Amino acid sequence: MSAAEQQLKGYFVEPLWKNNQVLIAILGICSALGITSGLQTAIVMGAAVTFVTGCSSLLVSLLRKFTPDSVRMIAQLAIISTFVTMVSELLKAFAFDAWKELSVYLGLIITNCLVMGRAEAMAKNVSPLPAFLDGIGAGLGYAFVLVIVAFIREIMGFGQLMGYQVIPESFYATAENPDAYSNFGIMVSPPAAFFILGALIWIANATNKS
Amino acid sequence: MSQSKHGPSNAFTIGFMICLCCGCALILAVLSSSLKELQETGEMLERNKQMLMSAQVYNTSGYFQIKAEDGTFVPAKHIGNGMLEPATENDLATTEDVFAVFERRIKSYLIKENGEFTTFKEEGIDESSYTREHEGTGYANLPLKLIYAVFPNEDKEFKDLNKAESFVFPVSGFGLWAAIYGYLAVANDGYHVVGISWYKHGETPGLGANIAAPWWQEQFEGKVIFQKDKAGNVDVANAPVGITVMRGKVSETLGDSPKAHSAVDGMSGATLTGNGVTKAYKETLAPYRPFLLRVNEHFKETNAS
Repeated sequence: MSAAEQQLKGYFVEPLWKNNQVLIAILGICSALGITSGLQTAIVMGAAVTFVTGCSSLLVSLLRKFTPDSVRMIAQLAIISTFVTMVSELLKAFAFDAWKELSVYLGLIITNCLVMGRAEAMAKNVSPLPAFLDGIGAGLGYAFVLVIVAFIREIMGFGQLMGYQVIPESFYATAENPDAYSNFGIMVSPPAAFFILGALIWIANATNKS
Repeated sequence: MSQSKHGPSNAFTIGFMICLCCGCALILAVLSSSLKELQETGEMLERNKQMLMSAQVYNTSGYFQIKAEDGTFVPAKHIGNGMLEPATENDLATTEDVFAVFERRIKSYLIKENGEFTTFKEEGIDESSYTREHEGTGYANLPLKLIYAVFPNEDKEFKDLNKAESFVFPVSGFGLWAAIYGYLAVANDGYHVVGISWYKHGETPGLGANIAAPWWQEQFEGKVIFQKDKAGNVDVANAPVGITVMRGKVSETLGDSPKAHSAVDGMSGATLTGNGVTKAYKETLAPYRPFLLRVNEHFKETNAS
């Protein structure tokens, strides 16, 4: 692998874990708290954000030579909103149920600091290919964190994964057997995502230090 | 980036933004208009499914159901012209099936203030413009209120409202974040709930959004919309109307008091959505009381004779 390829790979791999935008830069945690109570929504959301970050980073980078500095933020926002609306329209047409499930959070990708963070910190300074790879990497890194949080929350809060019961009904406490297993109520509410996210940030910091 | 001291001229900046915005707008306009048909079909299908689901004609697992002799619902499949016949759970319905069955079994009517019914045709009202105009605010407080009659599978005329299997009420109210829209199907006795659904809401995914989840909606089946009195009778004319979404479990708070028949378990983390649902049922159903009273009286007459 040549040095140039190595460098390109770096753009893609870095934001997956080592420079994970959610865990290291603490960007985009608002939606990480809101939509991680189910694995399925987390996966769709992760995919949508990856698409938006990848495409908007690419376009921001393509336009970087012409964009006047004074309006660069608003230009980035216009580009990001275009892609977010695109995702929303496409999902509504082809995956109505997923669109319905995500509802407001889909539109809120526009204000996801992660997308703009990548456009501002990376895409406007580098050429299109690295910008695109960086965007995709950052989106996948975000999706990865979302999936972990959602996995823990769904299995502990509902005993389900992707909406299917995985913890057998027979394990659960009943009137006759009150000491058996029951779901963790707190996992259902957003504060649980805070705790899990905190733990993940700790792990990320600890592994990156060594 | 321009290397000059002053940066690009104002004219360039303004021109750049205009071009960018026009480009973005053009892309979105093309996309939106080319997907419009698919989206509208999606919305219509969703609405029809939800209505059929509340009336127990369609199941969340994706197959049709018909009422067996003993009153339970068994899986069914579409055999053409909107007719259903018993089948297995594996006979999933296609989009065309849903539209065909909906077309045949569900008819819309208007309810007058005195509880009598009339049709869109008789009143000279165009149904699609009526629904478009009033969907946002709800139909309950209009002088002519919308209602859907669900006719039995074996019916042939689809005219006699007394033969209807159940009635579907469009319910609307406010959840935590936004307006919520749904359906409530009431049996032909005028007070037993056949089923409910919520087809449009903006509640928090994973919390309040569970009002659209089958496991939560199932508990409404068999509840009564008019509170039972101490003896367990339902007085449609005077009893308090509505179904209450509790905080916590019904069994823990109400035990088996008469109120428990008009209450369902709340969702943890979604108390405010639950309150909105309670209010929506109460406010939507109250204006329909004269109609429900008539339905109930007719039911009592036919069952007494």
